[in-house]
Amino acid sequence: MADRFESGGLSARFGRPFVTLVLGLTLLFLAFPVVMTFVSSFGSDWFGVLPTGFVTFDNWRDVIFGTGVGADVAVGSSLAYSTGLALGGVVINLIVGVPIAYAVARYDFWGRNWVNVFAILPLAPGIILGIAFLRTYPDLSTSGIALVIGYSLLKAPYMVMAVQSSFQSMDLQQIEESARSLGASWPRTFLTVIVPNARTGIVAGSIISWTLAAAEFNFSYIVYSRGTPPLAIFLFNNITNASFLNAAAAVSVFFLLIALVTITLQIIGNRGAVRRV
Amino acid sequence: MSEVSLDNVTKRFDSTVAVDGISIDIDDGEVMGIVGPSGCGKTTALRLVAGFETATEGTIRYDREDVTHVPPENRNVGLVFQSYALFNNMSVLRNVTFGPKMHGVGKDERRRRARELLELLDIEELADRNPKTLSGGQQQRVGLARALAIEPHILLLDEPMTGLDAKLKQTLRQELGELLDELDVTTLYVTHDQEQAMSMCDRIAVMNDGHLEQIGTPAEIYEQPANEFVAGFIGTANLLEATVQDGTVSLGFAEMAAPQNAGPNGTATVMIRPDDIRIGPDSTDAEVVAEVEVTNLFYQGETIQATGRLPDGRTLTLSLDRSLTDVGTGDSIPIGLDPAAVHVIESG
Repeated sequence: MADRFESGGLSARFGRPFVTLVLGLTLLFLAFPVVMTFVSSFGSDWFGVLPTGFVTFDNWRDVIFGTGVGADVAVGSSLAYSTGLALGGVVINLIVGVPIAYAVARYDFWGRNWVNVFAILPLAPGIILGIAFLRTYPDLSTSGIALVIGYSLLKAPYMVMAVQSSFQSMDLQQIEESARSLGASWPRTFLTVIVPNARTGIVAGSIISWTLAAAEFNFSYIVYSRGTPPLAIFLFNNITNASFLNAAAAVSVFFLLIALVTITLQIIGNRGAVRRV
Repeated sequence: MSEVSLDNVTKRFDSTVAVDGISIDIDDGEVMGIVGPSGCGKTTALRLVAGFETATEGTIRYDREDVTHVPPENRNVGLVFQSYALFNNMSVLRNVTFGPKMHGVGKDERRRRARELLELLDIEELADRNPKTLSGGQQQRVGLARALAIEPHILLLDEPMTGLDAKLKQTLRQELGELLDELDVTTLYVTHDQEQAMSMCDRIAVMNDGHLEQIGTPAEIYEQPANEFVAGFIGTANLLEATVQDGTVSLGFAEMAAPQNAGPNGTATVMIRPDDIRIGPDSTDAEVVAEVEVTNLFYQGETIQATGRLPDGRTLTLSLDRSLTDVGTGDSIPIGLDPAAVHVIESG
């Protein structure tokens, strides 16, 4: 055994470099398309292997000010519209999802497991929900209400799961009973003690479900008919109608949005970890 | 502070009887312990007093006022849980002022009261800290301060020492005992740890399987247990079959004058505490002297616990003085018993 350590077995000599190589290749495989898209959005031509004509902001200008042929609308208005719609979905998810997560984490009632399954399983794909929605409520297709309701239904599981894990990490019953014994009514206990204690999960759930709602394509594509397009449709229009590099700039807007959300989540997560020390 | 009484209280969950007709009167300022093994109904009893469970039968009174159906938020009870259940979204000070705020106490008054309690518990410097950052002992004090801030009718402590390390437990037990004495607050202390209950409570109620087995001072419970369960649960007990006949109790290996409560003639169960058995040179003065063979020795620091086999094969748990270092496994040693050491606990 000592010999093996001295001479270095196959695994000891190559194990670590091999794992590092595999990790590096995986990272490259995942990051390359994103980086190339972002970089190419600053190029003016792409005929060969790599884009050329750096650095130009024309593509970004087209996307940001809606001057290109792509979506025929500025990214800002789409982004603002989607922000509002997704926010509406998040508000509904908060009102419905937080009490469901609480009930499932706190109480043992008949049908609890079924409620949990329905709350956390994304039962209907966006496209099916969209068609069903259109056929049931055709009049609502031109309003944002349809999109808000659809987003909230589709993204509710992410909210419930995030909040539920927060609730499960604390002793809900004892916290609730402590507050009540101190004279707080049940609604007051819920709003001033239980919900603020689950803040990390609620913030995380809101960010995740908002991001996914803002990027929801299938449901938006089926239900959206006219007016300012939601962000997902805006991106789709850019990709299908505009020049290749214009589309790259539009997609990069989405990448930046995702990066922003991920960083925010990390910060919130770390803040929670520090507080736990 | 108040008198609190449970009068023939029963709590059923479907077909399970968690608490079966218990009656406990807690005097004003008294520290009452409820002890018993897991599942004996002691926590349900505490929850009934707090109002988180409603009695199926019977009455709960605070100062003779029936509160059986009063919701917990209107009962004014101070509750300290095993996990302390502090509100991590608030500072220590806000945790302590929460109760008074819910009771409509003005901001200045509730802050003054909270500061006073934090000072009393020697944690005033923690006022602005988040409870998450505190040690177990500090959290316990915050939990106590929070519970006391509402000037409760009764303070309910549900296993507040479980989960702390042995040394800290010992320190806190002493501190908590002194504090409860000083505050003169009516307290119900629920624990499975009989040692804690013995050292902190004025009286103890021993529960088993939903029933109240005995209620009395720690000395009464220890020295005159009502039955085999209490004798075995509180401290270490030797339970032996014996025969009572005309004022004499026969243990098989010894005969002696029967105590007054020996009951009618016939078979009986007697209890002998290990520390009442005289061992070594001291044993020869006792009224009855017998020989046992030492079969086991467990060094416990202050004493040595030993198992001694009687000539008839029955065993006794013995408590040896640490100075008896020359006693080894397989040795025969004399033991001495006085009538006062023998308690008849069940006869017939």
